[in-house]
Amino acid sequence: MNRDPVSTNIAVLLFFFASAPLLAEEKTADIVNHAPRPSDWGALAKLPDWSGVWTPFISDQNKRITTDPVPWQPKVAEQIAAMEAEEKAGRPRGLFIDCLPEGMPTWMLITHNALEFLFTPGRVTILGEMDGNRLRRIYTDGRGHPEDPDPTFHGHSIGHWEGNTLVVDTVGVLPQSYLAVSEAVGIPNNGDLHVIERLHLVEADVLHDDLQIIAPHVLTAPWKTTRIYFRQRARKYDIVEGECLQGNYAQRQDGHGNAVFVPIPHQDGNPVPQSPEQK
Amino acid sequence: MRRLPRGIARLLLLGALTAVSLPALAHHSFAMFDFTKTVTITGTVKEFQWTNPHVVVWVNVEGKDPKTPDVWWLEMTSPGNLTRTGWNRKALSAGDKVVVELNPLRNGGLGGALIKVTISATGQVFSTNLRDMEKPGLK
Repeated sequence: MNRDPVSTNIAVLLFFFASAPLLAEEKTADIVNHAPRPSDWGALAKLPDWSGVWTPFISDQNKRITTDPVPWQPKVAEQIAAMEAEEKAGRPRGLFIDCLPEGMPTWMLITHNALEFLFTPGRVTILGEMDGNRLRRIYTDGRGHPEDPDPTFHGHSIGHWEGNTLVVDTVGVLPQSYLAVSEAVGIPNNGDLHVIERLHLVEADVLHDDLQIIAPHVLTAPWKTTRIYFRQRARKYDIVEGECLQGNYAQRQDGHGNAVFVPIPHQDGNPVPQSPEQK
Repeated sequence: MRRLPRGIARLLLLGALTAVSLPALAHHSFAMFDFTKTVTITGTVKEFQWTNPHVVVWVNVEGKDPKTPDVWWLEMTSPGNLTRTGWNRKALSAGDKVVVELNPLRNGGLGGALIKVTISATGQVFSTNLRDMEKPGLK
């Protein structure tokens, strides 16, 4: 059957425009997280064993503030020096007493609490007892970062294995999220933060997180430092629930006999000393 | 309240404690406490609050007015970390007579970072030291 070529072209164009939304929809719908196959589960067994609970080397965190000095920009250094002076004078500025997340990379830098790793197909998940049981999802399924990720406290993390080292790349962190060296000394990263981590065992039960922190609005150069975690297998080290703000409430009964939380007056993250009349 | 005199042994103990009991909480600095000073108080537990991010114990201590005790608050690390160093949520109970060693607030307020508490009736001792966990494979 002969058709008029102009009509044919118009028909093709009409079809194209009419179906364009459909094609776009199909493209989005095409991105699915496939059900893991037995081989995907099997591949996990070849990864290094990071099971157990990992407790931070807090003394080393403190030491590295000196041994791995942060290359703060001069104007930032002035603010940091003022915070350090206040902390030394016994007037620490509580950066996290509002219980907003410590975020990336700060919680890896300053935590005093434990964490654990979960390996599942296409993903490594870091579960914290630290920072109120918060967590990180690190996608290891080969995806890239979103073109323009919604900023979050922990950002968007993708990872891949280089031998026994997990290399993690994180972007999309909220500019308000602190780059902190302690609970009282830190500065908002102010945007465009990029963190590259290399997590690996250095001994059977000692894990290092080698961090490279690129924060162009507050640092003059990438800050390289390491954080160390120790593996515990005794069951008393199992991660427990830890809600940040719970300590701000006393357990009481209301007039109906219901178990309720009642706010405790706090100032600068501490209970205000109560008078004996207070209950 | 009674403050112990400082002898040489006490200074040695103080040195050891200040070396190991610096900031212990996740969400605020401990710089408001004076780690160069150790104070000992004797009193009665008013309330033991087993919560994150920090466990707190309130202790009634006899003050100037015997009818109105001073109320001290003492901070520790988290329930998770304390569990690993031998504590539990029933470690202290309201009414327990206790002797508490603490690093006091620098501003002179009735509060501090708890170092060690001894329950008078049983002699049982609980202490907090996160640095004890800085090695792998602990029991």
